[in-house]
Amino acid sequence: MALNGDDEDFEWEPPTEAEMKVIQARRERQDKISKLMGDYLLKGYKMLGECCDACGTILLQDRQQKNYCVSCQEMDSDIDKDNPALNAQAALSQVRERQLAAQTPEVNGGPSTSSSQAGGSVPQPRPEHCEGAAAGGRTPLPPPAAPPPSAPVPAASLATARPPAPPQSAVFRPVLQDAEEAVLTKLRWATAQLQSSPSLEASIQLCSLITSCANSLRSLKELSQ
Amino acid sequence: MPPSERLRLEHVLEMVSALEAVILRSFGPEGGQVLFTRNTGQAMLSRSGTRILSALHLEHPLARMVVECVWKHSRATGDGSKTFILLLASLLRMISKAISRELGASHTYGFTEAAKAAAAPHLANKLLELASSDLDDLVAVNVVPYGFCLSLEDFTTHRLLLASFFHTRVSHVHCSYLSELTCEMLNRWKHKSDLPCVSLQFLSDNFPALHTPVSGFPVSSSRLIEGQVIHRDFATARLPNKQQPVKAAVFTNYMQPVLLGPGDVLKVGYGDGVTEQNTMVHFSAWTERSLESVIAKLQSLGVSLLLSAVKQSDAALALATQAHMSLVECVSEEELSLFMQLSGVTPVSRGCTIQAKHVAALSFCRPILLGAHRYVHVAFCEAAETCELNPCSLVICGPGEEQTDQYICAIRDAVCMLMTTWEPKHTSEAAASHGTVQSNKSPASSDMTTQSTANEPYVLKKCVLEPGCVIPAGGTFEFLLSKALLNSSLPSVSQLLANALLSVPRQIYSHSPKLFLQAQTRIMSLVQNPSNSVRLKESTSESTVDLGLESVACKCQLILAVVQCATSVLRVDTVLHAHTALHTRSKKHTNSSQDSTEDEEED
Repeated sequence: MALNGDDEDFEWEPPTEAEMKVIQARRERQDKISKLMGDYLLKGYKMLGECCDACGTILLQDRQQKNYCVSCQEMDSDIDKDNPALNAQAALSQVRERQLAAQTPEVNGGPSTSSSQAGGSVPQPRPEHCEGAAAGGRTPLPPPAAPPPSAPVPAASLATARPPAPPQSAVFRPVLQDAEEAVLTKLRWATAQLQSSPSLEASIQLCSLITSCANSLRSLKELSQ
Repeated sequence: MPPSERLRLEHVLEMVSALEAVILRSFGPEGGQVLFTRNTGQAMLSRSGTRILSALHLEHPLARMVVECVWKHSRATGDGSKTFILLLASLLRMISKAISRELGASHTYGFTEAAKAAAAPHLANKLLELASSDLDDLVAVNVVPYGFCLSLEDFTTHRLLLASFFHTRVSHVHCSYLSELTCEMLNRWKHKSDLPCVSLQFLSDNFPALHTPVSGFPVSSSRLIEGQVIHRDFATARLPNKQQPVKAAVFTNYMQPVLLGPGDVLKVGYGDGVTEQNTMVHFSAWTERSLESVIAKLQSLGVSLLLSAVKQSDAALALATQAHMSLVECVSEEELSLFMQLSGVTPVSRGCTIQAKHVAALSFCRPILLGAHRYVHVAFCEAAETCELNPCSLVICGPGEEQTDQYICAIRDAVCMLMTTWEPKHTSEAAASHGTVQSNKSPASSDMTTQSTANEPYVLKKCVLEPGCVIPAGGTFEFLLSKALLNSSLPSVSQLLANALLSVPRQIYSHSPKLFLQAQTRIMSLVQNPSNSVRLKESTSESTVDLGLESVACKCQLILAVVQCATSVLRVDTVLHAHTALHTRSKKHTNSSQDSTEDEEED
């Protein structure tokens, strides 16, 4: 049954693995939607003859005459998980992609240490950092995507100022105070940036930076007590 | 959906998948029951696909169309409503997959959508052609040899078939008891000289009058009682005397002429004016006199029981009591017609003289207490017409009203299913279309030979499926037919149908995929060795005991109905929403597409 002629029949190739995964995921999503709709129908919801404007799923109506779309209101959206502004994983993958694109033309022989970051390659942030859960003592600051040149330097200085080794308290205190000052400076800078930032992505990252700064301040205060 | 958007295949699939999700958990012998409740407190318990789907609130026009198809199929065959939806959903999925594959090469999306929309009905039409013409032959050749016919003498096979049917409708505890009860009832109603379908048809037509629901008792209290139960109580305090035979007469109208009803105009003294001789008083006296003469005539014939379709007047009641007659009022039409069929009397109509043909002889007539109600129980004398019949009525008990209702529906559908098994109907439809085509081709000639050859395919087609053919359940039919379709030299759409059919056994064994593979291998191995007929019979008898039986005719009709439904659903191009005047926003749309369905939102 070749509707488009024989040539295109010969051009058909089986879908690649990635496409298969997408197809499979879509099918599973459709099955879940159908199951949910079936459950709602058995609960007494009415199946309307209309579709949702956003996703095209059939609308249901409850006893209070309120319309309900199963996929919009209950299931995670198909495309939201790819939006970096809404999903940390997507943001991470976007950052990694940019790094990959930036690293390939560069010939960077030596390993990039945390101190020499002026070149432009940004150290790989660990996922936990992005989530905003910064444990005390570790380097909690994820560098923003378009870092100003001053940013890596205080980060580097913070990285070197590690409190876990148990020095004597006399040596300890000035180090802690320096650390606190540095964090406060960073906090002030981040706030100023946040007020003027136009991009959503940058604002979110600045907010997480502020959270990490606050956490580090708290842990520094605990240490000093 | 905007008012006149073209219907997409995905939309249809989504709707059918939602209906499938509704019935899926009740499917199969291990399926569950659905309890529906209303705000009034009324409840309904069901495992029947038709009842579940009909109880849903569906405003979607295609969903209503599908439920209507299911309902009609269930009315015709009594079984297979859940399988219908399952098969429909998987068929639509196969069609969708086939179309996406075909059009996967096309890179212009606009063209793809239009091509998709045109491809689906095209495929469906080809499937319908296949199902109408070749399905019966395929089944007769490839499936029927692995089954056998129900025997008329021995009711064991009937019992097995009914038990597997009840397994899908009521809880498994009561299956065997209900199938025994139904078999006994069939046995007693069986007319020795007739085919079973005659008595089954009679049972099916008169089922409302032949059963009495009694709630508050366990199912094991259900039984058959002799004669007929009239679901009314005596209107007169006096009960008929115990002498045999009890004579009864049936009245469909008022015994006393009605004086005046609303809207009646009585012209008194017409022509001569109102005189002393023709006032209202005289008229009412005349009506009383005519009533007295009716009662006197009945008394002279020895009638002691009066069955009336309407509520008689107080005077009639008083006179009947005085004359030692019992009166039962407001008997339903079905019960009266059954009574008249079984006793062979004609009803007394207005104005006719009462003769012997209006009087029935009953062996007894007494009140019977069933549950909380007192009914009239009559039994018929051995009359010429009914001498071979042993009329009986079914009393079905259940713990609550909902369960009793469930058992009654199950028994009624079982009778319908047996009727379809013994009389496969769809073959005559397909044959009729072939027959007319043949006769049209031969020009209007009075040549006997051409006419006989024209009629021959008609006759041959009708006998393809033997009456009473059954096959072991558990997916045997689907496996065999699927294999036959794949091996046949039929067009490519047969593959679609073959794959869609396998979804049914897959769902039956969904709790254990291993069993599905085992069943498939067992049946395929049977197919591989066709010469080993002894082994065939052994294995079929083994699997019969384990899995139960199902009717081949019901299955064939199911497949045809599903393909027809899929075709009609896919033929719909557009759905137009036409709101009635009750709605605040009124949208009137011009109809541009020819194949469209109009949906008026009722409110």
